[in-house]
Amino acid sequence: MGLKSFSRARAIHVMLVYTGGCNGCDIEIVNSILSPRFDAEQYNVFLTWNPREADVLVVTGPVTHLNRKPLEAIYEAIPNPKLVVAAGSCALMGGVYKNCYGDIPSEEIEGPVENIIPVNAKVPGCAVRPQDVLAGVVSLLPTLLDAD
Amino acid sequence: MLENILTNPIIAVVLTVLVCFVISTLLPGIERKYIHARIQQRIGPIVIAPGIMAPIKFMFKENVNISSPVPKLYKALPILCFIVVLCILIALTPQAYKIPALSSLVAIVGFLKVEEICYVLMGALSKSVMSVRMPFPDRIKGAVHIKSNRSFVEDISARRSLRMITYGSFPLYLALFAPITAARSVFLQDIVTYQQLNGPFLFTVAGGIAAVVFFIGYMIILNEYPFSIIKAKSDVIEGPYMEYAAKYRAVVVLTRGFFMFVLGAVFSVLFIGVPPTILSWGIVLNIIVALIFVVLMGIFSAFAPVFTNRQLLPSILGATLLGILAVVIGLL
Amino acid sequence: MDKKVPRSNIIETEIPMGTVHPAALEPYRVRFFVEDEIVQEAEITIGVNHRGIERIMEGLPVEKANALTEKICGICSNAHIWNSCRTAELGLGIEIPERALYIRVIMSELERLHSHFLYLAHGCEVLSHETFSMRVFYLREIVMELLAMIGGNRVQYGCSVLGGVRPRCDLNEAKLLRLKNDMDKIEEGLTGFVERFLADSIVMSRITGIGVLPQKQAIELAVTGPTLRATGVARDLRTTMFEYDDFDFNVITQPDGDVKSNLVMRALESFEAIKIIRQAIANIPEGKIVNRDWEMFDTDINESYIEVPRGTLYHSYALESGRVRHCIIRTPSMANIGAMQYACIGDQITDAQLCIVQCDPCFTCTDRAIEIIRR
Repeated sequence: MGLKSFSRARAIHVMLVYTGGCNGCDIEIVNSILSPRFDAEQYNVFLTWNPREADVLVVTGPVTHLNRKPLEAIYEAIPNPKLVVAAGSCALMGGVYKNCYGDIPSEEIEGPVENIIPVNAKVPGCAVRPQDVLAGVVSLLPTLLDAD
Repeated sequence: MLENILTNPIIAVVLTVLVCFVISTLLPGIERKYIHARIQQRIGPIVIAPGIMAPIKFMFKENVNISSPVPKLYKALPILCFIVVLCILIALTPQAYKIPALSSLVAIVGFLKVEEICYVLMGALSKSVMSVRMPFPDRIKGAVHIKSNRSFVEDISARRSLRMITYGSFPLYLALFAPITAARSVFLQDIVTYQQLNGPFLFTVAGGIAAVVFFIGYMIILNEYPFSIIKAKSDVIEGPYMEYAAKYRAVVVLTRGFFMFVLGAVFSVLFIGVPPTILSWGIVLNIIVALIFVVLMGIFSAFAPVFTNRQLLPSILGATLLGILAVVIGLL
Repeated sequence: MDKKVPRSNIIETEIPMGTVHPAALEPYRVRFFVEDEIVQEAEITIGVNHRGIERIMEGLPVEKANALTEKICGICSNAHIWNSCRTAELGLGIEIPERALYIRVIMSELERLHSHFLYLAHGCEVLSHETFSMRVFYLREIVMELLAMIGGNRVQYGCSVLGGVRPRCDLNEAKLLRLKNDMDKIEEGLTGFVERFLADSIVMSRITGIGVLPQKQAIELAVTGPTLRATGVARDLRTTMFEYDDFDFNVITQPDGDVKSNLVMRALESFEAIKIIRQAIANIPEGKIVNRDWEMFDTDINESYIEVPRGTLYHSYALESGRVRHCIIRTPSMANIGAMQYACIGDQITDAQLCIVQCDPCFTCTDRAIEIIRR
């Protein structure tokens, strides 16, 4: 293991972007990082709110129309190598909102997240459990370590 | 042979700086893991993560185009900050006493001022995506003001740094000048020799008060909670550092740890009379002082919310008055 | 207290924040118009979260629509499904077994605990007081585990169904005992936290007199829920709801309407919630938990108001051959947006997000198409 992989495994900065889900996943993720019970920092996962600092972008929600551009802008702002975790059923496949108008394309929901930015890991659940989020972020480690 | 190498002043200074730098990278981790995490009843990251591993990781990240009106200057600023901190440390070493212009309190204060002005420039030059540049249609029909001057969150941060220069750094400078009242000289050499003859300045009445003021000034200049108004998370997010990515962010992170150590060394020179040098065991005392400062700062910051301007002004005023008291007692 | 008037004529600068911001756990855009770091006017733009859930509910069988209402909000999800069931139950005249009512009340009060703890933790986080925030999150974890024990999921439990509660959510002796023990644990932890919090003079100086919402203004802005009660108006729908007839609890009010009042309000209300849960555990009747003996018929528009952690929740829909028609939902944060904008005025920009947070916003519930009728 080179110095690059070694350092990457020991400092992972995670940024959260909420794109209009129901708040359930958002709070569970904050819970997994902020509460001493789950404490993501013991796995050297740090929460950041600055896209320039982030390595992993955790996206929740079905990406509503007004959230599309901010999401793209934040994704652009993250320096490479960057990875995206889509957390929750809404981010994975649009959830209950995806087909709300049947065959008529919805103007509100742009998601799932895959339609807008490339997704590296998917964490299912409605709402996601904190354990799953941690597992999802940690499962990205091999990809992150081998990236250029 | 070895003695010859060590007596060469340049090599001794380089070695001292290297040792100090390596230890300084551990300080943010110690604060995070052993103080914050302990108080918050959790395990916390490994000690090397925030101080060493994060900068190394940032080194390996790809550089991005920074959104700033003057990108080159903006990128140069953290390096300038680092050099300034380095200069302060070099000025503290006994080998630098041969250059009186460098090893005087006036030089150190000047360097600290440069550091502060860097924050203003950083804040003014950073144009992050998180506020105005966020693509969102909010100036539309029905909005309260369609035409208004918009400013980035970093601009507030720049204005606050300017305010901090005008009054926020008084406590630190007053505390820095307090030892002069005892030694009657601005040169570090005289201050150190005075204390080696008459015992540490810290254990006099004026010294004790000045040490408290120094600690408050230390927290203010390091922008640590509760004095972190220029990078308060509740409005300006990270303030001046918003746009730094990759290598430049690595320098920012390293500078912070290094600055923590160097300020501790400043204290041990001015208040205890032990300059940092690899040639004597005194450097252990320097390290211990730096650690004590970090631990104290960690405890204070874990139990305090961020101060707004309303609390900042009285608390800084109080510290300034204490500092004046220390100087007056010292003069008497 | 004089009325704070937004100054619109000379505005020095505008600072937009959002849609992603550390102080906001949800996507919303807020524009602060400031002069020398003092907020003169604030504008919150919602609509970022609009997903059109009423439109999805329209035409669905009522049972499915009930399950869908839970997805409106991840914080007060139980309140939504409860009120949606209640709307149909009131319209169809369904008798609900006593035991089911008790379980619903227990769920609702547990949810109130978790929502108020989230509020306290988020408030401390916006104050940048990480330690307090972590301590409340630690307490909240006990509540989350209890909710997971009863509902089977940490968020969105789907407890209520038409005529009662889901069989999964029935409470046996072991569950009741655990509930009882954990209530003691929560009470102890919360008492410790509140004492510590109120004794902290730095935090107190930071939150006293910030984001003041005068009582008169609160009534004028039609504020609901704890935010209204924190201004001194003792208005709580729980006193009029038949579900709460058997329970003895106080309506907490606080005098000032500032951030401190709001935070203390939530803490004291959590104690009342613990009290209600204890009464429910002690007196829970035996019997069925769901009444399957009802008929579906077409009804006119049915309405139901309940008190949820954040205020008054309103659901209404008509039933047409078992399907939902003309669905309208109004969530409490909708009414509180005016208060959020108002509370910011005259405070430091550092406190501005705190002033928004003090009104307990839930923008994910709030985003619906609305029509303001001025009279």
